[in-house]
Amino acid sequence: MNSLTAEDFKERSPLYAKHKGACLAPLAETVAVERFSETDEHSQLARCALVDLTNLARVGFRGTDSAEFLLSKGYHLPETPNHATLQDDGSMVARLSQTEYLLLGSLRDAGTRVSDLEAHWQLSEQANYLLPRQDSHAWLLLTGEHCAAVMAKLCGVDLRDGNFTQGAVAQTSAARINVIVINTHTTALPSFHILCDRASVSYFWDAVLDAMLEFGGKPAGIQALLD
Amino acid sequence: MKIMNCPLNGPRNISEFTYGGELKAMPDSATCSDIEWADYVFNSDNAAGVVTEWWMHTPSSYWFLAERHTVTDQIIRTFDPKEVFNQRVDFHANSTALKGVTA
Repeated sequence: MNSLTAEDFKERSPLYAKHKGACLAPLAETVAVERFSETDEHSQLARCALVDLTNLARVGFRGTDSAEFLLSKGYHLPETPNHATLQDDGSMVARLSQTEYLLLGSLRDAGTRVSDLEAHWQLSEQANYLLPRQDSHAWLLLTGEHCAAVMAKLCGVDLRDGNFTQGAVAQTSAARINVIVINTHTTALPSFHILCDRASVSYFWDAVLDAMLEFGGKPAGIQALLD
Repeated sequence: MKIMNCPLNGPRNISEFTYGGELKAMPDSATCSDIEWADYVFNSDNAAGVVTEWWMHTPSSYWFLAERHTVTDQIIRTFDPKEVFNQRVDFHANSTALKGVTA
């Protein structure tokens, strides 16, 4: 285990107290859990795992000119609301309504492309308004072959493969709090990105882990995602 | 659980929605009387029958319109407000401020 501690950083995940004993790694200006145990976490990810990505950059934009703005920055946009498009650099753009977009940073660049976009945005004549999401939402990643079955215990929407395909977005309620669920399944790893109220994530983390128990689910770190 | 169809998100449990009141025609705030404005803001028709109401899908903060029978609680149709509101409504600061003074 290394000597990094979350308390040494100004920005820390609201879940940091639940990461006691985990091995931490730097992530841009902050820190994230690298791994929870000394054992290889790849098999855990494939089976059923929950990863805290709250310290990874994310931001939103809304307005009739938001699509034009994001296209000018080189992003590929989903054609219809409630769909997400994976970008070449591993970041993601989810379209939440006709004129609202949510950008999720990539672990590959520690979210710097998205955080730079937020830092350099300026109010102009363009109808493109910034929606800061770093302090409003928490961000979890649920992975593994059982992720749809886990969500079925918490959520009223059918998130199984046939009904909720790769790239689909569901804005709904899970464990009685509002969430955005994004299907980012790949052939190698089924996964759902889940965004929820940051102030409720401590409760939500425990609720999801409780639902994962019967599938052998455990928390995991970001290292196995990067390998 | 009762299911409502959100025009943006599809069928969802009714617990995901927030009621927003009856759809009413807004009087011109610059020319209407205080009584007309207060009636618009505070009073409801509370009609028995099919009414058009504002509803919000809470997880996405999306407002839409629904036709609902207030006696049977049957939801007949839900639709995007752009079907009704296809022009921007501007409020002029002067007329609003003046109304505040006279009230």
